[in-house]
Amino acid sequence: MTAVPAQPPPRLSVADLRGSAGRRRRELAVRSFFLAAASISILISFLIIASLAGEAFNFITQVDLALLFERGWFPRRDLYSIQTIVGGTLVVAGIGMLVATPLGLGAAIYLSEYASPRVRRTVKPILEILAGIPSVVLGYFALQVLSPTLVDAACPGATNPSNIAAAGIGVGILITPLVASVAEDAMYAVPRSLREAAYGLGARKRTTSLRIVLPAAISGIVAALILGLSRGIGETMVVSIAAGATGGSLFTLNPCEPGQTMTAAMTALATGSDQVRGASLAFPSLFFVGLLLFVFTLTLNLFADRFVRRVRISY
Amino acid sequence: MAVSTPRAQALSGAEVVRRSLEGGRTDWRSIGFESLLVGLLVLTLGILAWLLVVVFVNGIPVLAERGTDFLTSPLAARPAEAGVGQAITGSLWLMAFVVVLSFPLGIGAAVYLEEYARDTWFTRLINTVVRNLAGVPSIVYGLLGLAVFVVALGDILGPGSTSGRSLLAGGLTMAILVLPIVIITSGEALRAVPGSIREAAFGVGATRWEVVRSHVLPYAAPGIFTGTILSMARAFGETAPLILVGAVIGGFNVEYDSFIGILQGRYTALPTTVYDWARKPPSFSGNVYAAIVVLIVVLLLVNALAIYLRNRFERRW
Amino acid sequence: MTVNQNWSRSLLGIGVVLTLVLAACQSNPSGSGADPGASGGGDSGGEIFVSGSSTVEPISNAVAEAYAADNPGFQYVVEGPGTGDGFALFCNGETDIADASRAIGDEEVATCGDNGVEYVELLVAYDGLSVITSEENELSCLSFLDLYALLGPESEGFTNWTDANDLAAELEAEFGDEFGAMNAPYPDASLDVTAPGEESGTYDSFVEIVFGDISEARAESGAITEDQVETSRIDYQASPNDNVIVENIAGSPGSLGWVGLAFASEAEGVKSLDVDGGGGCVAASDETVADESYPISRPLFIYPSLAAVDEDLELAPFVDFYVSAEGLALAGEVGYVVLTEEQGGATRAAWEGR
Repeated sequence: MTAVPAQPPPRLSVADLRGSAGRRRRELAVRSFFLAAASISILISFLIIASLAGEAFNFITQVDLALLFERGWFPRRDLYSIQTIVGGTLVVAGIGMLVATPLGLGAAIYLSEYASPRVRRTVKPILEILAGIPSVVLGYFALQVLSPTLVDAACPGATNPSNIAAAGIGVGILITPLVASVAEDAMYAVPRSLREAAYGLGARKRTTSLRIVLPAAISGIVAALILGLSRGIGETMVVSIAAGATGGSLFTLNPCEPGQTMTAAMTALATGSDQVRGASLAFPSLFFVGLLLFVFTLTLNLFADRFVRRVRISY
Repeated sequence: MAVSTPRAQALSGAEVVRRSLEGGRTDWRSIGFESLLVGLLVLTLGILAWLLVVVFVNGIPVLAERGTDFLTSPLAARPAEAGVGQAITGSLWLMAFVVVLSFPLGIGAAVYLEEYARDTWFTRLINTVVRNLAGVPSIVYGLLGLAVFVVALGDILGPGSTSGRSLLAGGLTMAILVLPIVIITSGEALRAVPGSIREAAFGVGATRWEVVRSHVLPYAAPGIFTGTILSMARAFGETAPLILVGAVIGGFNVEYDSFIGILQGRYTALPTTVYDWARKPPSFSGNVYAAIVVLIVVLLLVNALAIYLRNRFERRW
Repeated sequence: MTVNQNWSRSLLGIGVVLTLVLAACQSNPSGSGADPGASGGGDSGGEIFVSGSSTVEPISNAVAEAYAADNPGFQYVVEGPGTGDGFALFCNGETDIADASRAIGDEEVATCGDNGVEYVELLVAYDGLSVITSEENELSCLSFLDLYALLGPESEGFTNWTDANDLAAELEAEFGDEFGAMNAPYPDASLDVTAPGEESGTYDSFVEIVFGDISEARAESGAITEDQVETSRIDYQASPNDNVIVENIAGSPGSLGWVGLAFASEAEGVKSLDVDGGGGCVAASDETVADESYPISRPLFIYPSLAAVDEDLELAPFVDFYVSAEGLALAGEVGYVVLTEEQGGATRAAWEGR
């Protein structure tokens, strides 16, 4: 019998492992497609800035800078007081957060800490669905139902039911389910072990919720609040329909008076300006305000990112 | 010690511990706190329930009276004849754009960011950019659509009498609006797949794409699904960008002579129709509520679909 | 693998459903039962684009619908972004007909001229402007002088009706009864003004009709500047949404504002004041607007582009229908005041003589 010489096992080279050329080509093609898809987001950002910047630059170079600090935002009278609309936006968003934070966080704490699993299972999806109510619906509701009743309570003696407070309350109601849903997710994700440790030391549920769970979930809660604030700043339809989408307003920070936000100003310009693309600066001012809004939310998001990352507790 | 008395024996050990820890007084503050929380939750749900009740109470009679006629009639000058037929068609077309454009691109981008990308400055830039884009107000996307798709590319996308305000412009705008959300939700779904799954596939010699295709995507599918369906629901309800980009607010009767004709022609959408009718005299108010009912019902169905799919295909690790 | 099959199957299912729905809708995109691709004879391949005043939009819409019902294949788009916006598009050559709730302005005439856009002005209906206040307000009549004192450019900062007393006295001294009898002194109530904003033709019509002559005279005497002629006060709640205006007016006892008559007659919680333009207090109604005894009535126009009439064979028959007795009567069905036989005839003559 011929003995088969013991041969060393065949050495594999990297070339063998790499596989057929076809497979490699497919791999490369797929990777390139995904890379391209991811890069589109950069393209979009660039497009946003480019499209806004052109007309915005147009505006800023042609407008008499003194007009920017006039007493009100009346684009058709060539009064472009930026502080009016920025102030209006901040007050509306502020009131919105005043409404949404207690409601949203309260609901979130209850669902995550106190509610039975059955209640949570039913209510959580309801909250998520409510978060999807389109703002145009809430705007009409605020106009027909909310303004007359709630605003009377908020601004006693205010004779004008359409004011910043009305818009703020409407916006607050709009963003509450969002804040509640995201904050609840954050709190629910806190591991049971932290809670159990607290109970083991004799803490009450109230103490545990407020002193242990809330701080542990703080990054998620802050993220929820920032998300709500972002949405509140960018909210258009509620303000347009309920607060009157005024063609202009005087500068005021008093919520019980009518006011104008950046987004409502843009809608008013776009849906009925006197000389769209005409000689007046109304059209370019639309883009200028848009750029302002974009920079605003960008800054807010960048700040939020950094802040959230800093306070995040890993466990 | 209370343990020895007959009455105390009815108490469980937990009760005993709790009693001795709390000192036997009623804890008003905790009860108050819990009541406050319940109150806030009830208030939140209550206001929104109130909204839904008002909407349905006012909208259902109109729908009952006019039935499918309301759902198929076009926009009209007289409220009794006006319906949401054209609006529903338009909105569905816009959803088609979102599905065809944003889903592949968004999921592809998410796959790249989660599976392929190394931690370079480029990757971090894309991540930041995507997160910021998701937070940009929708009206800014409307401006983008106006500047790029209506004005700049108007002659290609919407020639002739359309003056750039074409379905293409609207659809592209909505697709861009939804893209960051799809990327983020898909990314989260992909991140949730445990590394062991991937490693197992690599271990038998699969290329990265094969790993993703055969192992990662199937397991991340439920999460990706939910995210994409919810982003579609979000796009369905958007109003401001469509107003800027030229959805018809008024009335129209256009015949499209081809598929391209449809894409290059005028259109309208359901939320913009609600916005338009909300500005009309009180005789239209029944129509507004009915249209809102249709809008909410569609959104409810889409959300329910997403929740159902999520529950059906969810796997726990 | 089960998960693999199921999720891709579901995806496929959703895609199929969506496609089917779209296909079903695609065969009938206009919802009016017309064949796709069958257009009326000789059409240049597009739809008729009518844009402009949101007040006139319901009329144009109703007329277009009626015309399309008799002429299947008639394609149109009617929009109502605002009179000014409509003219801007029109003078740019983008629309075929401009709807307007006021006559074309000088600047717009110039722009159209520069761009070579020729048109013919056709009166199609009348609309009254109601001055509205809350039902609790005891006043029943206001004159042009009163309105100027309360709402005009010199009344900025007046938050109470009584603030306008001095100005009203001054105006009476200057103009006497020319613009109606003075109703000062005014009641002591908070003055809350909600009215259309400057983007709307309703605003333009009101300030032109009510303030026009008074403000010009005041400018001549130096009380106001040239820029302020035919403007109102700045500090009021402006809204393009008439529902908001009505809500606000109904909500406050000392409120004051103006909306179209069609809107006011349907609105609840507000009352229309009688207006005195120099001929005594007249209540707003369809009749008083038609016979022009009510002083604040504004004409509603359409401006077809002559170039479009030549290019698009569909346009002329459509406008023929619009200005026919049957077409003009449709204005009444959407709440406006129909032209008299005489006025309708004049419009038809203007159209035929283009």
